[in-house]
Amino acid sequence: MTALALLCAPARAQTIVHLAAQHLAFYYDRFLIEGDGGVRVTLGNGVSIRGDAFSMDLKLNRFLVAGHVHVDSPSGSQDGAAIADFLDFDRAYFVPILGQAALRQAQGDGGLRQAQGDVPDRWTFVGSDFAHPIKGRVMPGDTFYFPDVSGERAFLTTGMATIGARSFVRFGASRVDIAGVYAPLPSYYINFSTDPHLGANSLAGANFDGTYQFAGNANAISALHLRYDTVNKAYLGFEQHVSGSKAYAVFSVNPFTRPSKFWNLRLSDQPSDTFQIQSFSQLHTFQSGLSQPLEAQHVTNVLATQALHRSFLQLGYQFVNDSLLAPTPKNYYGDLNHVFVPNHPSNATLGITGFDTKIKGTPLIFRPRFGFGFAHDAYGLQIVGKTLYTTIWNHYAGLTVYTPAVRLNHPARAFQSVFLNAIVDKQRTWNSAPHFVDSTNTTLSLSRQLDPFSHLTSYLQYNILNTRDVYSKDQAAVYPSIPIGTSPGLQQFEQFAGAATLRTLSLGVLYTNRADFSASLVAEKHTDFPAPVPGLFPLPPTNVLGQYQYSAYFGKPPYDLTADVRFRLDPHTAIDIARTYYFNYPGLRWSPQFIIQVTQ
Amino acid sequence: MNAALMRAVAAVLVSSLLVAGASSARAQQPATVVVTGQILDYEKGYLFFTTGDGFHVAASAPIVDLKTQVASAAPPAVREYARVTFDSTGTVTKIELSNAKLASEGDLSQIHRFAVALTPPVPNPDLAPANVPKGRCSGVVPGKRVIVQFTVQVPPTTGPGDSVYMTTDQSAWNPQAYRFDRVDALHYRATLSLLSGTVFQFLFDRGSSQSLERGENGIEAKPTSFCVSDADAQAVPHTVYHWGDESAGSGSLPVPQALPTPYNPAPFPNLPTNPTGVPTPRP
Repeated sequence: MTALALLCAPARAQTIVHLAAQHLAFYYDRFLIEGDGGVRVTLGNGVSIRGDAFSMDLKLNRFLVAGHVHVDSPSGSQDGAAIADFLDFDRAYFVPILGQAALRQAQGDGGLRQAQGDVPDRWTFVGSDFAHPIKGRVMPGDTFYFPDVSGERAFLTTGMATIGARSFVRFGASRVDIAGVYAPLPSYYINFSTDPHLGANSLAGANFDGTYQFAGNANAISALHLRYDTVNKAYLGFEQHVSGSKAYAVFSVNPFTRPSKFWNLRLSDQPSDTFQIQSFSQLHTFQSGLSQPLEAQHVTNVLATQALHRSFLQLGYQFVNDSLLAPTPKNYYGDLNHVFVPNHPSNATLGITGFDTKIKGTPLIFRPRFGFGFAHDAYGLQIVGKTLYTTIWNHYAGLTVYTPAVRLNHPARAFQSVFLNAIVDKQRTWNSAPHFVDSTNTTLSLSRQLDPFSHLTSYLQYNILNTRDVYSKDQAAVYPSIPIGTSPGLQQFEQFAGAATLRTLSLGVLYTNRADFSASLVAEKHTDFPAPVPGLFPLPPTNVLGQYQYSAYFGKPPYDLTADVRFRLDPHTAIDIARTYYFNYPGLRWSPQFIIQVTQ
Repeated sequence: MNAALMRAVAAVLVSSLLVAGASSARAQQPATVVVTGQILDYEKGYLFFTTGDGFHVAASAPIVDLKTQVASAAPPAVREYARVTFDSTGTVTKIELSNAKLASEGDLSQIHRFAVALTPPVPNPDLAPANVPKGRCSGVVPGKRVIVQFTVQVPPTTGPGDSVYMTTDQSAWNPQAYRFDRVDALHYRATLSLLSGTVFQFLFDRGSSQSLERGENGIEAKPTSFCVSDADAQAVPHTVYHWGDESAGSGSLPVPQALPTPYNPAPFPNLPTNPTGVPTPRP
């Protein structure tokens, strides 16, 4: 019988359940609402139900009211022991307790003639037709069962809730479990729809994000974010989501309580199964509150995708305004930290990417891509020779060849099998500047389990990234040999003429227990050309989590060891702690800080 | 004497046979039936179990606390557990109440015959096997903790330092709900403890909803629906073809990701400016 309820048939359109009780508890990990005392349920079709206890499984989309039940519908009223509404199936199962008047009516219908006093019965309502119950119909076996929540801690308690079937639940004044303490909040909204777009966010990452969804319905959510990151420390952000069947929009401002604010807008529309257009616009302002900004920059990305036969066509366009404020005579605003930058570059790429195609008779799969594009900045992108290029056209062709997992041995104990993965990715980009860039990225890995229960796994990986920037006759002018020292590293830098090779050998070991704890240790050895020289190469910028924004860069310390520990506090909260050790590379022993991330 | 003795012996035998017959009859049909169950309702002289069955309660039936056997101050209430004694006619003759779940005793299906209902039962066509649609969760015993190991094959252009996450409708589509661990160049893995019978939808991403997986045709992927079975352990493989934040033509090139990001035609994002101070045309 459970199977009947588990099947995901579409819910009745806009089924809204208004619920009130002396005590309502929400169990987040099971999506259960349990209510006791003075239960009142009002349905959108004019039916209201009173009873002693309420139980609803939001995922199964069915609810139960039991104990001294009274059902009011447009076609009349009836007392009973319990009523269960299986919303997905348009069936309500009712155990009425019929008094003498009803019995006389029943006897007239050929019912139980010898009945005296009140008598229970079993009725089934089909659709919303409460005037014509189907009497005596056998009911699913678990129709009136309560889930066992003994020993479980409620995530939230309240007295009122509005439930949008298969979509959302909005609680009234609530006490919400925050880190083990019940905190009072004026309202609380939870979305559990299968529409991922209502969960789409436009916020940057943070070490901690406590989301308070204070309002919402089936198509919109308003949320406050209490966040912490290493740059902005503690701050507030605001986010508004709107989603329809084919399109969605997300707007956010973050951090709202810091001068450096990012105003983000994401839009997406998918008018057909084969076409989608998305955009992301970001306005950055530096302003106290909403006062006159000292900085304002803007970037917009547009991505349009058209599916084709065994490939897809994608157009990407990016437009940047480095300063939106009017220039000043001094060329800065407030102080020299907020200078006027006149550039407003843009770039676009139109490319085709093929589907994965298996090479017959081999375990290899290849994926081709090619396309063309341009970059433009009226103030100039690059000088080659004596020419200032304000527009650079480019075209590219690339190919990825890989093999997902080749089993190298067949030991008696299957878990001891060793698997090989290999990826080769090569691309050439021709620029009108004139130069071309070759990039070859090769990765080989061997992996195997270390125990039969999948607790311990390990891999050995070797990655080579070759990049060549070839200017032909202008090569020496673009990449001149600059004698700056005699140490081996500086000599390599002197020899560097636009061709770099970054080699990384990695050994990773991962431990996972039965789902709430994992730890990984990854040791890496980097052999790069040009070799790292302390202080010569600026480190890449870090994001707000303290992670470098790109993984391939010059000047990586030769050795590093990264430990990452992650444990799940409850089904909805996990903590991730990571840090890297650089083996006394001059001036650098540890990564700038622990990377601590709380995910909920 | 002999005749009198024989009559006496015969009387004893007949009596013995009658007693034995009566005992046999009692053994075949016990006077009382005892079951435990959860209460759905108690009103108007009926006790309802969560099977939906209602049973007539004798007016004289004692209602006591199961542990103390002291008369209960309050009548039976919904959600309470009870040990209920029925007489041979199906009338409830004793109710012993408990707030704690009780060990199973008796067979609730056996007392279904005692249930009082005005209308005789009629078959439910919804429950006919032919009419029950077969879903992936059909027949799964719900509520059991199951270890589920997800293994995802990522696009070959995924960077070596990238983090991979799973987002689900169970976590309100938080893009960082479940972080996965790299197990080789192309695969990430996570082990979760989930309740059997749970049906949920999932997608993979690289930590932001901008990076949500795309299908092989480049269009945003639809969530994958998954049912947690009641097997002790379950393995779920999945393939991601493209990430939502891949840019056309970037392949696996290191692309600066800071925003705002002016286009940089140079392939070496952190090449130092000329340390000697001599101007060069380096971009």
